[in-house]
Amino acid sequence: MVLFLQSLINGFLLGGIYAACAAGFSLAFGVMGIVNLSHGDFVMLGAFVTYWLFVLLGWDPFLTLPITLALLFILGLFLQKLALNRIAGAPPIMSYLLTFGFHLVISSLALRAWTADYRTLNPTYAGLNFNLCGLVLPYSRLATFSLALVLICGLYLFLYRTEMGRAIRATAQDGEMARLLGIRIFKIYAVTFAVSAAITGVAGSLVAQTFVVYPQMGLPFTVTAFCVVVLGGLGYVPGTLFGGLILGIFESLATTYLTAGLSLVLTFLLLLIMLILRPGGVFGKGALE
Amino acid sequence: MKALSPNKGLPVFLVFFLALAALPLLGVEGYRLRLLTLLFLWVSLAGCWNFMSGYTGYIDFGPVAYFGTGAYATAVLMIRFDLHFASALALSGLICAPLAALVGGATLRIRGAYFAIATFAAAEALKQVTLEGDRVAGFEFFGGSHGLTLPAAPDSEFFYYLLLGFMVLVIGITHFLEKTKFGYGLKAIRESEQAAELSGVPTFKLKMRAYVLSSSLIGCLGGIEAYWLTYIIPDDVFNVMRTIQMVIMTLLGGMGTVWGPVIGAGFLTLVGEFLGAKFVYDYLTILGVVIVVVILILPRGIMSLMKGRRGETV
Repeated sequence: MVLFLQSLINGFLLGGIYAACAAGFSLAFGVMGIVNLSHGDFVMLGAFVTYWLFVLLGWDPFLTLPITLALLFILGLFLQKLALNRIAGAPPIMSYLLTFGFHLVISSLALRAWTADYRTLNPTYAGLNFNLCGLVLPYSRLATFSLALVLICGLYLFLYRTEMGRAIRATAQDGEMARLLGIRIFKIYAVTFAVSAAITGVAGSLVAQTFVVYPQMGLPFTVTAFCVVVLGGLGYVPGTLFGGLILGIFESLATTYLTAGLSLVLTFLLLLIMLILRPGGVFGKGALE
Repeated sequence: MKALSPNKGLPVFLVFFLALAALPLLGVEGYRLRLLTLLFLWVSLAGCWNFMSGYTGYIDFGPVAYFGTGAYATAVLMIRFDLHFASALALSGLICAPLAALVGGATLRIRGAYFAIATFAAAEALKQVTLEGDRVAGFEFFGGSHGLTLPAAPDSEFFYYLLLGFMVLVIGITHFLEKTKFGYGLKAIRESEQAAELSGVPTFKLKMRAYVLSSSLIGCLGGIEAYWLTYIIPDDVFNVMRTIQMVIMTLLGGMGTVWGPVIGAGFLTLVGEFLGAKFVYDYLTILGVVIVVVILILPRGIMSLMKGRRGETV
């Protein structure tokens, strides 16, 4: 029973991080229809920003979040303005390939610069946890989980409570109509992708606290993001929270009771079955073509 | 492709084919023969992807599922069941057909990004099965991450002719699509599936047929490569880079055309070989830059340049 509850809690905490990693993916897809294959690399870059600030300057990992936010925002803005805006309106395969090109460039440059070594962050409080009736709750996991929730709530408030958020949602609903009403949609696209990259980068900074950091960690996170947004509903940002939690708990239970390798097979089967039976996500609010 | 109508194109094609077939007799061997064989393999792979995805507009992001399955089926049949290569290869193709029918039957009902993600997931799931199957089931079958070693292969001319024949077959099938009702049906699905369905095109049946045919052929190509290299591991034969390469090659040349995949695969294989030899460490970075630049500058593929007009719609 303790084992079951423990793996449930582990899955829950993991799910929060997954949700934070996937929210930006859902946003970019919902507004621009971009399936961003370099999404996981933003997670990797965020993780490395935190890692280097911690190792070289001795910053606390939590203090590095604003820096990651700013750096990844600029990168996202740059990529959208330079390349992605040019293929707006082109068939979706263009965005798969273009972003796969980003993935190759970013991940192989990172590999050249930082080598393939596995790295971990070890702040002084890394091993601390508290014990609740035999269940272990690490402080750093709790903190990253809370921050992941804050991140998603922040994105939700940005989208639903600000002028810019309204413009973004209008563009997502109908780009042509939004344009006719005086919204500069290319500016909106740029801001959307930048926000997507920025929150993904911050999620990466959170990932760095509990995961191993290495240049090739991106692609698995892209795949995770796929699963999460499909579960929550592609393009439906609030759904990612539930998608992340479902996936986290599912993976954690499968790893506890089966093997880690088989848990991946089951994850992909879950993804396939969801896509076929309920492509709109568990709430059915995802974008359907 | 209007410039190469069957009447004018066939003699050109035959001369080209005979010239390629004569190369080993004229003393081309070693590295050059191997490079050409590799080129035929990629032209065939891109061609298979093209006559499914290029014509129907359903972007398959998991063709490696069948490449890997074919490679593993051939290896397992040859090692564990002592079958001859020819029968193992034929069986591999036959194994891929029901598998593709199963995956296609489920996924071809969903469109766009959903189809792409679903096929990608299917390929990754199969890769995990070959990676973890042995450990989970407790038997010695796929060899896990150590992979499988096949019996020694015949000389490289054998593979040269085999893959040359395969390439001609794939080009032939695509050419056939341009002329038949089947091909027009597939194109109609790409333009507007709903309209096609309403006009009486049995869209689902056609999609399934193209998907199963393409997948079985890709499975056979996987089997050939396995026997050619004599050593396979899941991370290589199910590598997502193979999928991407098929897609990029086809897109580079021009999707939904007969000669697009030939040109794209030819170009990228040669460029890749050159870059891979010259810049061992920066190869992937350069490939990434090439992809980005090509998409931004030539979104309709190289074929559009040759025609001097807008290429076929993608």
